[in-house]
Amino acid sequence: MSAVLQESPAQAGKKHEIDENSFTLAAGLGTGPVPIEPYASPAYFEKERERVFRRAWLYAGRMEQLPEANSFFVKDYEINKASLVISRGKDGRVRAFHNVCSHRGNLVVNQSCGVAERLTCRYHNWAYRTETGELMGVPDLKHFFDFDKKSCGLTPVACDVWEGFIFVNFQKKPEVSLLEFLGPFGKTYAGIPFFNLDETIVIQADFKANWKLIADAFAEPYHVPALHPATLAPGFAHPEENRYARPLSARAHGIHRHFSAYGNPQYVPSETSKVERLVYVQETGGVLGGDSAENARALTAHPAINPTKNPNWSADVTWIFPNFNIDYSTGGFWTHEFWPVEYNRTRWTLKIFIPKTMNLRHRLQLEHYACRWSEVVLEDVTNCERIQRGMESGAKTHMILQDAEMLIRHNLHVLDKWVNADTVAEALQ
Amino acid sequence: MSHRETSLPRGFESLEPFVDYWVRESNDERRAARSTAQMEDIREFYDVVVALAPDAITYLEKFPLDAMPDDATRLFKLLLAMNHAAIAVEMHGAPRAFDSPWPAPVRIAKGPWPYGGSIEGAEIGGGFR
Ligand code: FES
Ligand SMILES: [Fe+2]
Repeated sequence: MSAVLQESPAQAGKKHEIDENSFTLAAGLGTGPVPIEPYASPAYFEKERERVFRRAWLYAGRMEQLPEANSFFVKDYEINKASLVISRGKDGRVRAFHNVCSHRGNLVVNQSCGVAERLTCRYHNWAYRTETGELMGVPDLKHFFDFDKKSCGLTPVACDVWEGFIFVNFQKKPEVSLLEFLGPFGKTYAGIPFFNLDETIVIQADFKANWKLIADAFAEPYHVPALHPATLAPGFAHPEENRYARPLSARAHGIHRHFSAYGNPQYVPSETSKVERLVYVQETGGVLGGDSAENARALTAHPAINPTKNPNWSADVTWIFPNFNIDYSTGGFWTHEFWPVEYNRTRWTLKIFIPKTMNLRHRLQLEHYACRWSEVVLEDVTNCERIQRGMESGAKTHMILQDAEMLIRHNLHVLDKWVNADTVAEALQ
Repeated sequence: MSHRETSLPRGFESLEPFVDYWVRESNDERRAARSTAQMEDIREFYDVVVALAPDAITYLEKFPLDAMPDDATRLFKLLLAMNHAAIAVEMHGAPRAFDSPWPAPVRIAKGPWPYGGSIEGAEIGGGFR
């Protein structure tokens, strides 16, 4: 174990107080065992595909990926067997289209991103306007029959932006707007001062487990001391004051949810962790990343962040239904996308936003940061594959959740509503 | 100019035996190197590189990060690999986390600049295509 915990003079002698009020009861949830069928059943997965992923607003990307007019990127949604082009117009508007040619159905764009006025399908060179998806040019047009150019643009997909995050909706005409979908979450988490958006570290995994297992792994800190004893526990638990890393808060926000993670801001690497001590820019405050005190102060001043304003705070995990996380810490923020492929297969992308490399020492710190992250997630991912096997064995029909696992219970509750509701309005109640 | 017997800047010759194995191009390759190494080898590299790290940092700080002479670039990449060795030595006491298989389903699709490496499309999450 590599942690030592320094006490600041203000905190000396003052014990960390753990909130013993029930998060689960406060969220209006039950307390009994919950079925594991949603994780292990192909039939349930088909319902998720139709009723959740074809009806909910889904994450597409960040505005930074569309820096200028005619910027575009491609986003694949395997669960919906779809490939979308997301573009930005001269009017600043973001639009989404199916990446499918009106001529004979070829995928039009086969690069991940770019800037171009027109997108050309390489089968017969039909060309579309990047901004609007309109069909611009058709070679040898005169030999087509009764051709109506106007009706042959790329097929639009509903698209909207919240706080710089781009979302799409696969319903032909979405039953609810993005803002209605985000509900109280969208209001509470508006206006957060994002920083360090310049660069990203991207960690990905393609593995054999249900998508909710990896979402669950980031939704509760109860497993941190056991599963991450060396990589995370030193910063996110405390052998006396918070042995089981109990959250500082955990709440439902409509169909979405958050928990605030405990952490000791006085955490420093131990004497024997020579490299960690060498590469960490010591004047910074974050448990894992660390950033200028100014950025951290602006973030922690926001009422949504660490809502109980507990001094021993490390990070907030927010889980936007169904499969997207935006997480906030004094070191910056990161996102998780948990994309279902099959009932027992998931592709997951963790994107950690970091500042541009400033100098050599900073570069070494970023390498250490990326290393530690990949190690933490390796622990989680390989564990998920074991859980999937356990769940599919049929040995158990239910799992038992404690109070710190409230987010998992809330997700299953919301998911069940969506799977069973005939309308989105009903699902949102 | 006399013939160089080392591929590293003067003063860092004792790191020469580690160049072949630990000089790698991307964050993910350095991670793979550490994950598949023997603990004794990781420990040996760690001890030598950690002792020289403060001097190496001072030496390398005079160059632009992405435009160093070749010998300095090699030294820089050894310092990057040092972080990976530290995960094994300072955290796990083993090359990898307990119970973790190799090859592993996790990869660092994009690392920090420079020499982080990037898989096409990783930035937008489409790197699986
Ligand atoms: S399929 Fe696209 S131009 Fe023919
Ligand atoms: Fe975890």
